[in-house]
Amino acid sequence: MTATDYLDLLIKSLLLAGIYAAMAVGMTAIYGVMKIVNLAHAGFLMLGAYFAYELFERFHLDPILGAMLALPVFFLFGMAVHWLLVRWLPKSDTPTLASLLLMFGFWLVLQNIGYLVWGNTAYSIFTPRSLASVRFGEISIPKDKLIVFAAAVVSLIVLQIVFARSWFGRSMRSLIQNPYAAAIVGVDDQKTARLSFAVGTAFAGFAGALLAILFPFTPDFGASFQLRAFVIIVLGGLESVSGVALGALILALLETFSINVPLPLYWHGWKFVYLPSSYQPAVSFVLLVVALLVLPKGIAGLLERKWRVA
Amino acid sequence: MKESSAFLAMHIHRRVARTLLLVGVVMFLGNLTWAADDAITIGIVMPTTGREAKPGLYQKEGIELAIKQINDQGGIMVKEKGKKLPVKTVFYDNGSDSAKAASLVERAMSSDHVTAVIGGYSTALAEAESVMPDRYKIPWLTGGAAATSIYSRGYKYIFGCLSPIALLGSTTAEFLGNLADQGKLKKGLKIALVVENTDHGVDYVAGVQDWIGKHPGYFTVVLNEKFDLGGTDFSGLLQKVKTAKADIFLSDAHLQDYITMQRQYLQAGLHHQVISYGARGPEADARKALGAGTDYILAALWWSDKLPYAQVQKFVADYKQMYNRGPDSWYAATAYDAMRILAKSIEAAGSTDGTKIRDALSKAELKGALIPGGVLKFGANGQAGYPFLVTQNKPEDKVDIVFPKDAATGPPVAPIP
Repeated sequence: MTATDYLDLLIKSLLLAGIYAAMAVGMTAIYGVMKIVNLAHAGFLMLGAYFAYELFERFHLDPILGAMLALPVFFLFGMAVHWLLVRWLPKSDTPTLASLLLMFGFWLVLQNIGYLVWGNTAYSIFTPRSLASVRFGEISIPKDKLIVFAAAVVSLIVLQIVFARSWFGRSMRSLIQNPYAAAIVGVDDQKTARLSFAVGTAFAGFAGALLAILFPFTPDFGASFQLRAFVIIVLGGLESVSGVALGALILALLETFSINVPLPLYWHGWKFVYLPSSYQPAVSFVLLVVALLVLPKGIAGLLERKWRVA
Repeated sequence: MKESSAFLAMHIHRRVARTLLLVGVVMFLGNLTWAADDAITIGIVMPTTGREAKPGLYQKEGIELAIKQINDQGGIMVKEKGKKLPVKTVFYDNGSDSAKAASLVERAMSSDHVTAVIGGYSTALAEAESVMPDRYKIPWLTGGAAATSIYSRGYKYIFGCLSPIALLGSTTAEFLGNLADQGKLKKGLKIALVVENTDHGVDYVAGVQDWIGKHPGYFTVVLNEKFDLGGTDFSGLLQKVKTAKADIFLSDAHLQDYITMQRQYLQAGLHHQVISYGARGPEADARKALGAGTDYILAALWWSDKLPYAQVQKFVADYKQMYNRGPDSWYAATAYDAMRILAKSIEAAGSTDGTKIRDALSKAELKGALIPGGVLKFGANGQAGYPFLVTQNKPEDKVDIVFPKDAATGPPVAPIP
């Protein structure tokens, strides 16, 4: 491979990281405040994909605009799901079995609703830019991936600003840091939890709509992304937007480069071998295990520790 | 006194109610047995949800069309009953899950006492299902699984209506060899093989390499990679393809992977003289998802609605009448033939006994089948072995059979413009 090929791969990894980060950030918002591992995340991604599809098919609305519209719609949907189901869960500082089962069950319900409404056809959104690319010499960048990346990055920056500057963001961070102290100083934990769940759902719907621009989807869409989202938030630290961005970047880089960079192997002497492409999905599993064993607070936690020491 | 007579009346009422309930249950069970005796029950185990839902639904539709036609003619003649019996079905959705598929086949054969099961789309699900039939001595047929590994374990009650995947691979290579002989492709071209990490993919590669090995000088394989089913990002893999500098891109993929990979292939600006995704190519979903991006893709198929046989045209018309749309790709046709050869074998066996039907299936020959060659029969391992045909997508949603010559509806376009 030439240097241009590596640069090409690096750009594609960055684009992939943007998509991964947008997909995982909703899960982080919910986990951070409520300590709920949202196993229905894949269901929200799937609904977001169909939401963009319906707007595109019925009203010829550009899927990027559809994704923007998904934010308020899924925010309200998240509020409703919280009011209907999630608020009844017992409070806990750690994920509970009840929350896992509830969200997993809700995912199955969403999937089956998907089958009832849309059947099992593999839908896709095909626009004039679906197959178009921007070319820089040997390097080819898909237009739709570029647009999705830009939308994802902008949304992450906005979310980071909201978390850092707004009343809601301060409440949220205080609950993440110490829920008891937050309660003493008057933070309304129920209201913050409801809003956090709604924000998480809104971003899942938004990400689902963006993913629909890139991939075909059926009602079981989202399962493979859900695993990646989980790896990313474990890797990035379970409670921060910047950690998610970092986790997404690491996963995307490793997935893309692991099969294209020769790895040293000692077998009757040193030699360089390429990892077979079929091992690519194992990268996320290995990362998950490593992160859980070595970096239980994620890379963000590690960096924080280093700063404190310094 | 009054209390004791009321107690007695209540006691009698309870006894009467119990007796009536018992009689009801006995009558119900008797009725069930009678109903089972008066019909042939076929279990259909297919994925109508999950990632294989679409082909699974098409296969189910093909089977149901065949059953409707059989029942319209009064059913299947069963000699030992002395009359024609209608065919009933029990349908099980395996949700595209292997473990569920195996347990549903077991349930059909053990507690639901079906005469035979048709299942097994796709390869992974079929592999799980295929361990059950010999255990219960009930025949199992599939119109959707072709990996050789399924039929090489010595099972006696499994029958596959699809030709082996290895033959799919070798037919594709043979067709490319033909193009080289015609001067449309140069000899000595380099092939990149990128297949799904399943027995299906492994067999495909074996078929291509077998042909290349027997015909030296035609092609060389410069890349042989596998990918996981349901992939989302193929950019790393496609980079390997680009680096390999191959002339021909041969893949073997399921529908969703085909759509995702071809999209990323085009976005990456890749171009090869020939592209194929194994048995995928002309599906309407892919054409809708990629538009002109699927033009000129080759597919080696078990069936096409363009086959110049009267029975094929009749099947297409009947299918359209029943479902208000034409059959999408080959899925429904092979399942339709599976049901027809099963019906023929039950009639030949003259019995609903599993072993007798199995013996009849192993000798059965379905003339007027929809497949290339028009005759469906099983080899010693239970798998059919008829020739493949090669189709090519053309602009404006046109699909032509381009190989073999006697079935061709249009000339092959190679290299791809």
